Amino acid sequence: MGVQLLLEKVNVEGIRHYDVYRREGGYRSVEKALKQMSPEAIVEEVKKSGLRGRGGAGFPAGMKWSFIAKPEGVPRHLVCNADESEPGTFKDRYLMEFIPHLLIEGLIVSSFALGSHDTYIYIRGEYAWIADILETAIAEAKANGMLGKNILQSGFDCEIYVHRGAGAYICGEETALIESLEGKRGNPRIKPPFPAVQGVWMRPTVVNNVETLAAVVPIINNGGEEYAKIGVGKSTGTKLISACGNINKPGVYEIDMTISVEEFIYSDEYCGGIANGKRLKACIPGGSSVPILPANLLLKTAKGETRLMNYESLSDGGFVSGSMMGSGGFIVLDEDQCIVKNTYTLTRFYRHESCGQCSPCREGTGWMEKILWRLENGEGKESDIDLLWDIQRRIEGNTICPLGDAAAWPVAAAIRHFRDEFEWHVRSPQEARKRNYGLAHYADPIHVPVAG
Amino acid sequence: MNKNNLGSYMVTFSEQELAKVKEIIAHYPEGKQKSALLPVLHLAQDTFGGWLSTETMDYVAGLLSIEPIEVYEVATFYSMYNLRPMGKYVFEVCQTGPCMLRGCDDIIAYITSKLGIRAGETTSDGMFSLKTVECLGACGYAPMMQLGKYYREHLTPEKVDAIIAECRNAAASQN
Repeated sequence: MGVQLLLEKVNVEGIRHYDVYRREGGYRSVEKALKQMSPEAIVEEVKKSGLRGRGGAGFPAGMKWSFIAKPEGVPRHLVCNADESEPGTFKDRYLMEFIPHLLIEGLIVSSFALGSHDTYIYIRGEYAWIADILETAIAEAKANGMLGKNILQSGFDCEIYVHRGAGAYICGEETALIESLEGKRGNPRIKPPFPAVQGVWMRPTVVNNVETLAAVVPIINNGGEEYAKIGVGKSTGTKLISACGNINKPGVYEIDMTISVEEFIYSDEYCGGIANGKRLKACIPGGSSVPILPANLLLKTAKGETRLMNYESLSDGGFVSGSMMGSGGFIVLDEDQCIVKNTYTLTRFYRHESCGQCSPCREGTGWMEKILWRLENGEGKESDIDLLWDIQRRIEGNTICPLGDAAAWPVAAAIRHFRDEFEWHVRSPQEARKRNYGLAHYADPIHVPVAG
Repeated sequence: MNKNNLGSYMVTFSEQELAKVKEIIAHYPEGKQKSALLPVLHLAQDTFGGWLSTETMDYVAGLLSIEPIEVYEVATFYSMYNLRPMGKYVFEVCQTGPCMLRGCDDIIAYITSKLGIRAGETTSDGMFSLKTVECLGACGYAPMMQLGKYYREHLTPEKVDAIIAECRNAAASQN
């Protein structure tokens, strides 16, 4: 087992409650930060740690914090993005459900660093029972003097409120989240102004992912430099990976970012191999938006190097032969899965979740869904494949927010790597209705490891 | 009570619920009570029959001192708000990629065959509704559905049978 900074204590009996969490060393970072450190020093430690945003974009967290505007007399806010909605991603849920005080602790320290006296957790509406767990944790922290007025006699006041969304993927985008927090439709805003200058209620706002804020705890406890020693290159610290699809052991794993993709999939410590003795066909390594990779390009880069579970290695080769770390939603497809059908369900998702502000995304996702449906159902034409490619190109980069890109990339990568499978659907419609294409002829299957 | 004439339709929060609304509004800065809209709509839907009628939305608009249109535009945007009556028990089955890989199509077909309703329909006795939904963040525990506040995961036909029986028993014990 590698280094565990976030989930080390997750299986301790009763860790969901304050007393046990505190006994296990919880809230030390609050004591250290509020009693011994200045807000600036905390930001500095987070910068030193190299921590990158864990929601998907991977932007350096310390740098994001340093952008927050501090106009005289205007309150600032920290907002925790717990809207986790990217298909394949369920890591934040796990952290909040089983070790909620870790998030609360990270939020208190981060609120102090940013000068936020009213901090919000925006949680997706469907996680209703987790909202209750967080409310309980907040009440416990408050009862023990970790929240409220004059925390630990430091003079710092802070309240944390849980705000439930109501079912909208787009609210994971930070400006849509802010709109939603203001009681509006989740339509992303045009940037600039950035939230750090004009965010919620036009006040300076920082929006960070759950895992990012939880990681502030070990950074403050051990120091940013210690945190940066874990991992490799610009992938410092540990990362939560939620693994799902056709594997033996779906679940949430904390990894240090030095292990190989092959080890992650086949080791019993993690995914435990492909389910039912099947072979690995493909994988979407960072949540449904990132490019799908065929097995051979997943396990080795185009240069023939072993691919590792980190930001740099997963994106090696760009979108031609690589993918992205994204949110850490690791979706594995076995040899029985149909790439066209998988792409269809993801495109249906993006069509459903498009907020409708920008025409390329609103119209484009709808057309892509329709075309993929007819291909999957044996009614496609040869020209549909090029048409799909054309539509996704016209969406990418032409929308206010990244949802357009997120909808375009899965289609592009599926065609790029599995064009033969799309063509087979057109040429053999009767076959396509009855069975799947399997591993046939795709990207050099010789190197696909056999389970066991 | 607000300006809306609610007539005989009993869309009115109890004292306790009104206190809850007041508490929610207090989470946001003075004058930003519109921010309470999403949580208050959740409370209203839970309180007034599992859906948001025009009367309910108008009532919420009055409580938050905002225009009814501001409530309508929000209620129509978010997928968790039901704009028409639903069954007593709503099976919200995820159908996105990761659940598809683990056989959600079979689960949806099984529910359809057991209850005689397709996605978007409600049984004639008003007991069950079937709704297909997009990713609920339970990909590792697929296939799954949301039932009320909680998730039901690793679904199999046997588990679906048990859930249906559980709902019927719960409904019977309430009568």
